[in-house]
Order: sequence, then structure tokens, then C-alpha cells
Amino acid sequence: MLADRRPVTASLGAYIHAPFCAKRCGYCAFNTAPWEPAAMARYVRAVMREMDLAGTVAWTPDVPVHSIFLGGGTPSLLAADDMSAILDRLRRRFRVLHDAEITVECNPESVTRVKLEAYRRAGVNRISLGVQAVDDQVLERLGRLHGAAAARAAFDAAREAGFGNVSVDLMYGLPGVERDDWRHGVETVLAWAPEHLSAYGLSLDPGSLWGASGVDGLPAEDAVVAQYWTLVSMARDHGFEHYEVSNYARPGYRSRHNLTYWRRGEYLAFGPGAAGFVADVRWANVKPVPRYCSETEAGRLPVDTCERLTDRQALAERLILGLRVADGVPASWLEERATGDGQLRTRIDWWQARGLLVFDNDRVRLTEEGYLLSDALFIDLL
Amino acid sequence: MAVARIRNFSIVAHIDHGKSTLADRLLALTGTMDAKKAVDQVLDSMDLERERGITIKAHTVRLLYRARDGHEYTLNLIDTPGHVDFSYEVSRALAACEGALLIIDAAQGIEAQTLANYYLAHEAKLAIIPVINKIDLPAADVEGTREQITEELELDGHEALAISAKHGTGVPEVLEAIVARIPPPVGDPDAPLKALVFDSYYDSYLGVVVYVRLIDGRVRSGTRIAFMSNGRTYEVHQIGVLTPGLTPVEELSAGGVGYLTASVKRVADAKVGDTITEAVRPATEAIPGYRDAKPMVFAGLYPIEDTDYEALRDALEKLRLNDPAFTFEPETSLALGYGFRCGFLGMLHMEIVQERLERHYGLSLIVTSPSVQYRLLTTAGEVLEVDNPSKLPTPDKIEEMEEPYVGASIFVPTEFMTAIYRLAQEKRGEHRSLEYLGGKRVHIRFDFPLAEIVVDFYDKLKSISKGYASFDYEFSGFRLAELVKLDILLNGDPVDALSIIVHRDKAYEKGKALVEKLRQVIPRQLFEVAIQAAIGSRVIARETVKAMGKNVTAKCYGGDITRKRKLLERQKEGKKRMKQVGKVEVPQEAFLSVLKS
Repeated sequence: MLADRRPVTASLGAYIHAPFCAKRCGYCAFNTAPWEPAAMARYVRAVMREMDLAGTVAWTPDVPVHSIFLGGGTPSLLAADDMSAILDRLRRRFRVLHDAEITVECNPESVTRVKLEAYRRAGVNRISLGVQAVDDQVLERLGRLHGAAAARAAFDAAREAGFGNVSVDLMYGLPGVERDDWRHGVETVLAWAPEHLSAYGLSLDPGSLWGASGVDGLPAEDAVVAQYWTLVSMARDHGFEHYEVSNYARPGYRSRHNLTYWRRGEYLAFGPGAAGFVADVRWANVKPVPRYCSETEAGRLPVDTCERLTDRQALAERLILGLRVADGVPASWLEERATGDGQLRTRIDWWQARGLLVFDNDRVRLTEEGYLLSDALFIDLL
Repeated sequence: MAVARIRNFSIVAHIDHGKSTLADRLLALTGTMDAKKAVDQVLDSMDLERERGITIKAHTVRLLYRARDGHEYTLNLIDTPGHVDFSYEVSRALAACEGALLIIDAAQGIEAQTLANYYLAHEAKLAIIPVINKIDLPAADVEGTREQITEELELDGHEALAISAKHGTGVPEVLEAIVARIPPPVGDPDAPLKALVFDSYYDSYLGVVVYVRLIDGRVRSGTRIAFMSNGRTYEVHQIGVLTPGLTPVEELSAGGVGYLTASVKRVADAKVGDTITEAVRPATEAIPGYRDAKPMVFAGLYPIEDTDYEALRDALEKLRLNDPAFTFEPETSLALGYGFRCGFLGMLHMEIVQERLERHYGLSLIVTSPSVQYRLLTTAGEVLEVDNPSKLPTPDKIEEMEEPYVGASIFVPTEFMTAIYRLAQEKRGEHRSLEYLGGKRVHIRFDFPLAEIVVDFYDKLKSISKGYASFDYEFSGFRLAELVKLDILLNGDPVDALSIIVHRDKAYEKGKALVEKLRQVIPRQLFEVAIQAAIGSRVIARETVKAMGKNVTAKCYGGDITRKRKLLERQKEGKKRMKQVGKVEVPQEAFLSVLKS
């Protein structure tokens, strides 16, 4: 598949999925697996083998990689040596740019200054810290293994290890979190002065424990919306740009890797369940770790599903991804989609009149109010 | 075949008491057809019937049986539909028989439909053979069931046959009993032709295939026949018997059951209950009991996609070929655009038509609030019939209004009487008579406004009587009534398709229930939606659907865009089932919520 499709953009991202977790959180619907040393060792060999297999494709030496993102799961469960080996292998098989953004998602309890220093030596230059909340009780309820103090310690450790680009993940709309608790949480984290902040509204996804069993004490919708606006104004006051639905950055610190997704750029994918995109093909690897490993060990690329997009789907994607970002998309794209679709045009006018959608020169973008309702528009753009 | 060697019978039973299993056995034993095939093809030929566990069309099959007396008999099994909406069709199918097998589950005993069917068969003056089935079950109580039969039905429980249709035990005795206990038809093959139409369907090659039971006379291919209800005449092309496929024969004569084709173009021209006679030598009178199946309930059918209008019309035309009881004519709605006003026998009939349109023709439909047909006198002295609330003139133009009434007949065990009377009162019923049947059962007659019983009356009746009440009704005439039009407004704009006509005393209660129900089914939109119920300009109830506060995917799992797109696509599919009324997106079920509130 990679062999007969060449990337159409100048450079690529690369996503590496590290599935293991010491404990699965109630809200999580990601592809995770229980952490065991033997399974981890097999996984590390498998993911490097996958890079070998993908790296034999003819175009790989020519197309540079501008960002690498290790997501999970809990990638910070990887020993420093393994981290180094994986990144080295990727560099050996692909043309990773020397200034590529290399991010690792870290859970606070699984990192120390020493480990983070080693990650840094392995080439990692950006840490995304899964703090989620700064209240011990709330963290316990989420099923997290760290407390507020450990979160702070991990952030400091990242700084001491020399990371000048640290992002903090927070969640809002959590059960038992009142408006003032949330304000306090945001204040606390902003006081650490991270370069980047991601704040995700809790959703009860199918596939998560809470999605299946439900959860008590969820705040009402207007309370969740109020938390969003609290965050929006506090982040702005601290000099952050709200550059994507759920992401805030100090000038110059937007995540290159995540912007690749939103701009419908191309990216490679490694690891169980990882999703990739090259040319007109989106694919995803097999999810169960043992099967992922046995596929790669047998010398086969562990692709599970694969989809060729039509022009219509591609245009819809460009719109629904691009409109998640503050820069929006060229107005001509929306024009193309709305041609001959009177209902959509009426809808667009209404969104504009309500201040949810803004036309700026020759671009169109959602406002911060528009982000909150974005899926209602995206449905019509499909 | 001599009339003396013919037996015409049907099998009736409570649901799941083993009617199809027994039919299947009888077919197999007489070598009519492979057992498995029989069940699949004959007795449950429609998906809808299988899924709902009800029979909509009557099925008929001829069995040839060599009895122990050494003679070969023709046994015609005429199966019946099983729902109150089709009670007329049931009565016609039974009118084609001389006897019935009444199946009773040995473990369950007599149940609601056992009784209801017993009464129907009894009324048709059939010889009834009680058959106790499932005697192989550990919980079977054959003696107890015999006693029940003696006590609760006017039958001798000791004459009941004990069988296991599943294992075949006792089934040969059933065939013998049919021969011995069901009288042969009485009819004169030399008298003028008189044949009862008990079913018909449209076949694209043969035209209408008419199922007939001959009372007197004979029919052959070439016979010039006339339908007595409309006087239309045709030349018979083919006659035959049902095996259960169409098997041509040379002649059918008095007492016989079979089919005929005669270039009849529409099922509507060969209606159930009609009498066929010979054109040149007509019978003096028709078989009694014929009724023109008239629609009782009317509703608008609209395609969700305006572009499906033509497709809907074609589908309705095709459906109507086989279902003359249902009518349609074009209508327009301010809210819904172009659609059709359709008439149905009852709510089940309406649901069946809707399901066929959606399933077989792939149409997405909106069905508006069902209405009965009202009659009114205008101040100008004109008499109007109105079956669409939005067509009702303004109150100042109406002199008086009448609504249709029915005479209803309910059989129920005495313990549920109080509940039945309470329900009747709630539904504006007027008590007519009460008759005790033995010590445990009563037969109650009420007059009801049709509008009160078409929608959920039958379901309610079933539920308050634990399924034991049987129910039948017949149109009895129009009566003056205090009626008002109740309008529903969404954000101030009246939605014509949601208007209903209600009794003045019930308007407030109904309006309140309706807006509450609509609040539950109308999804939140990007703006607040006010739902109001009004009579004229007076608002009597109001609810609000709050504006959507947030609708956003926070995160895309490691660049898994496909997943996000599929989630959105699924939402979009759901939205396709909604109709845009003004700016408000209203889901399909909202239009039917009138029923459920």
C-alpha cells in the first residue's frame, strides 16, 4: 500500500502508538493493553521491525519527516534505552529532519528527571504531560495513578531535564468538579508556565468503562460550557493563543504534529491500532498487541483496515479538520462544497449571522463559540 | 368429487399454541408438501407476518386424504388473519368453512385469543373440534385442559383430541376427526353459481387471482361470471385448486374451494366477501355478510426527501393493486410539502403499509397524526366530510360537527370488568349491554367515538385484561359532538401536519400531553424551540427545547480521522430521518407522537 502511493506533501508526520498502561482509566477508549515486561519487550522489537518493513518502500529516503509523536497508552513506560532504540530505528529507515518536533506523552507517575534526561538525549524535544486535573480526589476517581503533587514534580523534572517545550493535558466537564475547582485547576497549571495546553471536554465514548457503565456526578451541560469559557479567557490572559478546538499555545509553540492532522497533512503510523494517511489512503493497524506483534514478526505490515477516499470525502475532511484550527480554511473550499446545496448555504449564512463562523479576507474560520457547536456544522459538510 | 367427500375447515388458536406446527403436520401427513418447506413458504410467507407473529393474509391449501373408511376426501384448510383490524376478513374466511380446529396449549390452557377465536367460529356456526396440543411438554395438563374446555367453552372437553403436533402424536386422529365431525358442505351443483370470495391477490402474469368457496353451482374455464356487488362480468380463464401452488383443474363445483382468474385488473374489483355468480343465470341473492371494506383511519404520508414524491406515488399504486382496503389521494401540507392522504382499516393496517413502503421500496416517510372522518354542516348549509384536521373550516363557518361512532363488543373474564368500564369511560364510551356467559365471563357492548379507539385502545384493553379481552367493532353512524381543532406551533408557526381534532373536554389534557411528548422527541437545535398547543389563538400548553450548548469532538485519537468521520456520518444518517419544518428539524416519530401522548 505504501509502495504504490507516494506522499503528495513535502514532508510527513509519524505517529507511534505505545499501548501499555499500568492501569486503564475509566474514561479511556483508546487502544491500550496491560503493562507486562515481556509483552513490552516483544512490542519494542515488533515496532522496530514494522519500521524496517515500511522503510523498504522506494520513496522513503526522499520524503522528510517533520514530526514524531509517541502516543498511547503510556509511552513513558518505555525505558530510555527502548525509546532511544525506537527513535534511532525510525531515523535509520526514514529521513527525519534534524529539527523535527519529537513529542512523547508522559504520565506524571512514570517519569523522573533521570528518565526524561535520557529521553532528551534520545532526541525527544517536547513533552506532553497527562496531568488531567490537580485535585487528588478527582484524579483518583478518574483512575489516574498520580496525585497533584506528582504532577507538579513531573513538570519540574521536565524543566530540569532541559525541556523548553512542555505541554500539559487537562480535562474539563469531569464528575465532581465545580466551577471554582476548575478555575483553581487552570490557575495552578498556568502558574507552572507551560508552553502549550490541551484541554479536552470529557466524553463518554463507547469502548470506555464509563461509556458502558455510566458515571455519577457529571456536571450539567451549561456548567461544562462555563468551564470552557473560563479556560478560554484565562488562557488568553496568560498570553496563549486558542489555535484549535481543544489546544492553546504560546506564540511559536503550536504543535507541529497535531497541525499535520488538522491541515490534512500526511503521516506514517507505527504500533498497534495506529492510524496513518498517505496520498488518498487512510489505514489503521491491527489493534490487539499480540496479533500486531505476530504479523510484524512474520514480515507482514500489520495493516487492519484501509480506506481510499473519494474527492468528495477529501473535500469534507479538509473542511471539518481545517475548521478546527484558528486559521480556518480558504473560503473557496467552503464555496466549492456549498455549490448547488441550497440548504447548506442557508446553514452557513445562519452560522455567520450568529457569529459562529467568520469570513476573513479569503479565509473562513469558526469562532470560539463556533468551536463548541462545531460538530453540528461538520455533519452538514460531509 | 362428490360434495359428501369435501371438508372445509380452518385452524384457530391463541398465538404460539401450535397452529402452524399442526398445519405443517397435516400437510406432511397427507403428502401435500415437504413439512419444512410448507411452514416456510405457505404459512409464513411474509417477513412482516413472521416478525410480528400475526397473519395478515389468509392462506389456503387443499389436502387429499384417504380416510380409514377407505374413501379419499378433499380437505380444504383455510387459514385466517389474526388481528382486530382484519376481523372482517376473518369472518369471511370462516364463512367459507363448515368447521374449525380450536387449538389449545396443554400447558397454558385457554387464553385470550382462544376465546376470541372460539366466539368467532361459534358465531359462524362452525363445527368446532377442540384440540389439546403440546401434550409432550412436562407441564402439560391434559385433564385440566379438558375440564377448562367444558367449563369455559360450550364444548365437551372429553371430545377434545390430545396431540403433540411437534412429535406427530395423535395427528392422524385429527384428520379422522375432520372427516367424522365436520359436516360436508351442503350445496346444489346444479343450482345457479354462487361463490364466496374470501381472498384475492394481484399477480403480474395472471391478473387478480381470486380465492373462492363455491356454495352452489359450478364454474369452468370459459364460464361468464359476474360479481354481485358491482355487476362487473368477466370470462373465467383458469380455475384450479391450491396445493398450495396454483394447480389448474377442469371444474369447481358446489362445496369446493379453489381459485379462479378472469382478467380482473384490480383487487378492488374482486373484494373479499363478494359473491360471484353466473352472468347468464345469476343467483337470486348474494351470500350475506358482504361489507365494502372502508378505511376508518386517515393520515398523510410524506416523503422525507421531496425528490421521492414520484417514487412514493408509484409504490402506493403498486401496493393498492393488492390492498383495496387502502386508499390514497394527493394532498399538500405547508410543513411537509407534497404527499398523500391515505385511508386505512386501522392502525395496524397503517403500520403495515408504512413498513412495506419503507422496506420494499426503500422510502423514508413521515406519517402525520391519524384522523377519523368527521362530518360537518357549514353555516352556508353545505355538508362536508373532513379527514384532515388542517382542512377544517374556521369555527365561525361551522354550524355543527359530527363524529363517527362504532358499536364495540368486548368479551372478558369478570375479574377485569371494573378496569374495562374505567377504560371505556376514559374513552368516552357509552355502555349498551352486559351479558353473563357462564359464571366467569361477560360480553359487554359499548358505543365509542371511533377517534377514541383507533389509536391505542386495543393495546390498552389487552394490557388491562392481561390479554384476555377480545374486541371487535363496527361502524354505527355519526353523532353530534363538541369538537375543536388543536394546533401545534413550533417557534410560533403552526405545523399543519401536527394538528388534530379533539373533543372539547379533552383538548387541554391532550394539548399538554402532546407538547410534553414533542419536547422529548425533538432533539436540541442550535436555537431554542418553543412548542405550543393552541385552540384558535389561545395557547393552552407550552414546552421548550433548550438550545444545544455544545456539540464538539474534543479529540481525534492519534490522528484516527476515519473514526471521527464515521461518527459524524452516523449522526448525519440520523438527521436524514428528520424533516425540516421552518428552521426546526423534526424527527419522523414526532409526527406520530400524537398517538403516544
